[in-house]
Amino acid sequence: MKIRSDIVRMYRDIHSWVGIVCGLGLFIAFYAGAITMFEGPLNRWASEPRLFAEHTPLEKTPELVEKVLAEYPQVADRYEITLDAGLVDRPARVMWNVGPRGAATTYYAELAEDGSLQVHTEGPSAAGQLVDDIHQQVGILLDHDIAMPIVGIVSLMYFIALVSGVIVLLPTLIKDLFILRIGKNLKRMWLDFHNALGLFSLPFHIIMALTAVVFAFHDLFYISQWTLLEKNGRPEVHEEVHEHREILAPQQIVARLEEQAPGFIPLYMQFHYEEDHGMELLVSGNNPRHGTRAPNYGIAAVDPYTGDLTVTDYMPGEQNGWSATLTSFFSLHFGNFGGSPVRWLYFLLGLAGAVLFYTGNLLWIETHRKKRRKGYEHLEVKQTGGSKFLGALTVGISFGCIAGISATIASAKALPLWTEAVATWHTGIYYAVFFLACAWAFYRGAAKGAVDLLYASALATLLIPAASVLSAIVPGFGWNHGGSTYLIDIVAIVGAGCFVFLARKTLKRIHSAPEDSIWYVGKVVPEASQPHPQQVAENASGA
Amino acid sequence: MSKRLPKAQQLSSSNWVGKASAGAIAGYFLAIAICGIFSRFGPLEVGGFSAQAQINMWLVAPLWAVILSFCFMFRNGVRAWAWLGGANVVLWGILLLSRFVIG
Repeated sequence: MKIRSDIVRMYRDIHSWVGIVCGLGLFIAFYAGAITMFEGPLNRWASEPRLFAEHTPLEKTPELVEKVLAEYPQVADRYEITLDAGLVDRPARVMWNVGPRGAATTYYAELAEDGSLQVHTEGPSAAGQLVDDIHQQVGILLDHDIAMPIVGIVSLMYFIALVSGVIVLLPTLIKDLFILRIGKNLKRMWLDFHNALGLFSLPFHIIMALTAVVFAFHDLFYISQWTLLEKNGRPEVHEEVHEHREILAPQQIVARLEEQAPGFIPLYMQFHYEEDHGMELLVSGNNPRHGTRAPNYGIAAVDPYTGDLTVTDYMPGEQNGWSATLTSFFSLHFGNFGGSPVRWLYFLLGLAGAVLFYTGNLLWIETHRKKRRKGYEHLEVKQTGGSKFLGALTVGISFGCIAGISATIASAKALPLWTEAVATWHTGIYYAVFFLACAWAFYRGAAKGAVDLLYASALATLLIPAASVLSAIVPGFGWNHGGSTYLIDIVAIVGAGCFVFLARKTLKRIHSAPEDSIWYVGKVVPEASQPHPQQVAENASGA
Repeated sequence: MSKRLPKAQQLSSSNWVGKASAGAIAGYFLAIAICGIFSRFGPLEVGGFSAQAQINMWLVAPLWAVILSFCFMFRNGVRAWAWLGGANVVLWGILLLSRFVIG
């Protein structure tokens, strides 16, 4: 396809600059986001075994609620009943929150064998939530109100980067797309790789960019529309007041739901009291055949007095066309359609995205140097201070994020040994490792720093299975849940293997790079990689 | 197309501030106005949280992002502001007029 050369040149500049400004934030968002695809198994891996051996049976739940309400009357306004016993983030039959939203303490209640009430406040591990927060706020763990506009701007620039990247690629698309030029010109190879990766995952990236813009800016968009445009929306309808009636028992409600929506699997119920309408009930659950609005569930509004479905706008499988369209936007971001295969696909696409941004940044640095060389070929063109800074920053932030997340996850099984403030420790460990890695990258420079930090990332990631092994052999340390949680250990071992592989490749590269590359550290070829025909070929295909 | 344009007519990224600001500010209000057209003359809604109103809110993101991506195709900031501003005047004019005429 022909495009005027000045347009291509302009969009190449735009692509470089928006890429360089938002690339590192996006690296963090994508790496952490890929991990959140398995937040369930991760939370289970990281959470202490439940204090209660088993849930109170569902048919005894009314008795449990009655006892909770007798002891904590204020709970009558709002409480939740867990239906699916396998939910890690809901480790008790009855739960409620006390305190302001966001900083509330959650209480968990069950009936003991003798029928007495047991209440505690020890929840599931905070590790999964931390990774999710890092993902949502691109690693900027400031107040949500400060972080989100930054995330929104980054997402908009991300979209511009996608459009401009495609425009730059279009003229040579046919020629370049199916080619990976592995050879002497390493920059060319990385560019081919960057282009192929970006183009083949383009639909995924467009979805992520646009949904992220909405997640960051929805309040702004709503307020703009409400104040600037004429309102013509329908008001919310509420059921009339039910008085002097008893709400149904959870078991009866589950049975009524089964009647009305057979494919719907209810996970938990949220009861809340409205002054004008009496008791209201939202049932969260999913339907394997449909995507959902929240990462792991959709919501049905149910009349708790009769068990009738009242609002099905967010109920998977029971939505009209408008609502199903709306849900698809969320579902496409969360990858919660299509079960495990789609989750794995999103996991891999997320990691591929992180690689895209990492290679993009490093390409910028090399191109920047070559550009400055134009017309000065007879002179030595060194890397500028800016390029060195950016190289170190790229290496530090990327591997700091990787090592930090691994270290904080691995610590989950050890933290309860000495602290109650587990969530604070998780955040502290992540940032300690992250900033240490950044400092190290600046101290050692991009080239040596990358090798060191890749090994450090491998080590931090190996701590995850190490914690599981220790739990198995050291009495009193940690726990192992078995089942799908071994997935976490296996993926960690594979990940660590990848980091070691990349570290070895990078080590070879930094001793064979051109003198003015940011990868150059000296001509001394390390013992391990004496020129050997096969390895020379590998060299060329390496970092 | 094959002939090279004179330098003055070539597009460049050097004057990005004017173009990008037009895309960000005028482009944002233009996106809101387009949503207004969809709710005024189409099936979408404003106010409340019906699916139609939520989809209308979602629509701001692709509209704004596309305008921001292509605002660089204007030759300079002044033209970008003029075109996007003009489009704003037209769409907001239609919305305002329809309020008086149709009621």
